[in-house]
Amino acid sequence: MSRTPVDDVCVAIRSDADVVAARSLGRSLAEQHGFGTTDVTMIATAISELARNILKYAHEGEIVVETVERGSMSGVSVVARDDGPGIPDVGLALQDGFSTANSLGLGLPGTRRLMDEFEIVSAPGSGTVITAIKWRR
Amino acid sequence: MAATRQRVHADDLADSIGLGSEELAMRKRFLEFDDDDVQRLEGMYGLTHEHVDAVIEAFYEHLLSFPETTSFFRDPRLLEHVKGRQKNYFIRLTQGDYDHDYVTDRLRLGSIHERIGLPVRSFLGMYAFYLRQIAALLVQEHPGDPEHAFQKFHSLTKLLFFDIGLGVDMYIHQRERTIAVQQDAIRELSTPVLTIRDRLLVLPIIGILDTSRAQQLTEELLRSIRESRAQVVILDVTGVPAVDSAVANHLLQTVEASRLMGAQVIVTGLSASVAQALVTLGVDLTKLNAVGDLQGGIEVANGIMRYQVVAIDDTIPEVVDAGPDPEAG
Ligand SMILES: Nc1ncnc2c1ncn2[C@@H]1O[C@H](COP(=O)(O)OP(=O)(O)OP(=O)(O)O)[C@@H](O)[C@H]1O
Ligand SMILES: [Mg+2]
Repeated sequence: MSRTPVDDVCVAIRSDADVVAARSLGRSLAEQHGFGTTDVTMIATAISELARNILKYAHEGEIVVETVERGSMSGVSVVARDDGPGIPDVGLALQDGFSTANSLGLGLPGTRRLMDEFEIVSAPGSGTVITAIKWRR
Repeated sequence: MAATRQRVHADDLADSIGLGSEELAMRKRFLEFDDDDVQRLEGMYGLTHEHVDAVIEAFYEHLLSFPETTSFFRDPRLLEHVKGRQKNYFIRLTQGDYDHDYVTDRLRLGSIHERIGLPVRSFLGMYAFYLRQIAALLVQEHPGDPEHAFQKFHSLTKLLFFDIGLGVDMYIHQRERTIAVQQDAIRELSTPVLTIRDRLLVLPIIGILDTSRAQQLTEELLRSIRESRAQVVILDVTGVPAVDSAVANHLLQTVEASRLMGAQVIVTGLSASVAQALVTLGVDLTKLNAVGDLQGGIEVANGIMRYQVVAIDDTIPEVVDAGPDPEAG
C-alpha cells in the first residue's frame, strides 16, 4: 500500500477514533523519518498514551507530531496540548502507579521511558502541554 | 440495529445539525451580511423572476454537457422535477427573510444533492454558474452604473456563500452519520467465542478495545467460560489496532476475572515491538501470559491441558475395516 508522505501531523482529539488516527498518522511519520520498527511502535504508543489522557482528563485537545533537528540529531517530537483541568502535582503524576482514575497509572511515567526527552508544563486550571521527543539512533 | 439512514424531519433539520439561531446569526456576521444586503437582494426580485427560466435552462444545459453529470439525470421526469426546484431556489434568493425556513430549505437541498451522490465540485460549480449569470444580468440592468451593479452582486455573493456553507455542512453531516452508523455496526458485531476443543476457548478481538467494548467482551467471555467449563482461554489481539496501557489494563482485568472463574488466559498476537513498548511502559506482561502468536498460544494451552499433538504415522496401516463392532453385540 502506498502512503502519502506526512510532513507533520496535527490531530484534534475528541473521540477514541481520533486517538487511533493520531497514533497511526504519527506512526507513518516516524516510519518515513527512518525509525526502526521498535522505535516506531514506541512513538506510536506514546502518542496513544498522551492522546488518551487528553480524552480522559481534558475531554478535548490536540496532538501535534513533527520531525525535529538539533545539531546533528534528528528525531520526532510529540506535543499533546489541552485546556483541561491541568495536573496539580506533576511530580506525583509521573510516579508509576499514580492514577486519579483508578487505572494503571503508567501513561505518563511510561511515556517518559518510551521517549528520549519529556517535559510537562501544567498547572491547575490552565491546561497541560506535554512535549516528548525521540531521537533517531 | 437499523443500518438504514434515518430521515431527518424537515422541521428540526437546522437544529439537528447544530445550526441554532445564534450560530446562524454568527455566520451572517462573519460574512458581513446585514440589512442592506437583504434590501438589495429584495430589490433584485424582478430581475431573478424575469430571468429564472433562462438561467436554469442554461444551467442544466451546461451541467448536462458533462458526461459525469448526465448520469444523474437520465430520467427526464427527475430532471424536470429538479429544474422546478432549482427555479424556486433561484427566485428564493431574492425573497428576503433569510432565517429558519430559508435555512431549512437550503439544508434540504444539500441533503438531496448528497443523497443522489452529486459531487461537491458540481454543487459548488452550480453556485459559480449562478454568480456568472447574474453578474452578466446586473451589468445589463445597470448600464453606466457599475458600482450599483457591483453592490448588488456583492450582496448576492454573501448570500450564496451562506448557502454554500449550509450545503457543505449538510454533506458532511450526512457522511458523518453514515460513518457513525457503520461504526456502531462494527462495534456491535459480537466478538465470537470459539471453542477449539473441549474446555479450550479462543477469543479473537478485532477493532478498538475501549472500556465499554472491554466490558461487553469480558461478560461474554465469562458466560462462555461458565457454560463450557473452560480451562484455558486464548485472547488473540492481533486485530486490535492500538495497544497501550489502557488496553493492557482491560486485558489484565479480563485475565483476572477469568482466573476467578477457574480459567487460565493466554494473550496472543502482541507483536515483539508492541510487547517491548508495553514492557517499557511498565506493564507486567507475565500477568498476561503473553505468547507471540495464536499457534504458540495453542501449543502452550496444550501443555497446560496435558494434550500432545502427534502426527499420524504412515507406517502403521490405518484400520480400514474393523469388522463387526464387538460392542454392538
Ligand atoms: N492531560 C491531562 N490533564 C489533566 N490531568 C492529567 C492529564 N494527563 C494525566 N493527568 C493526571 O495524571 C495522572 C497520571 O496519568 P497517567 O497517564 O500516568 O495514568 P492514568 O491515565 O491514570 O492511567 P493509565 O494511563 O495507565 O491508564 C492521571 O490519573 C491524571 O490525574
Ligand atoms: Mg493515562
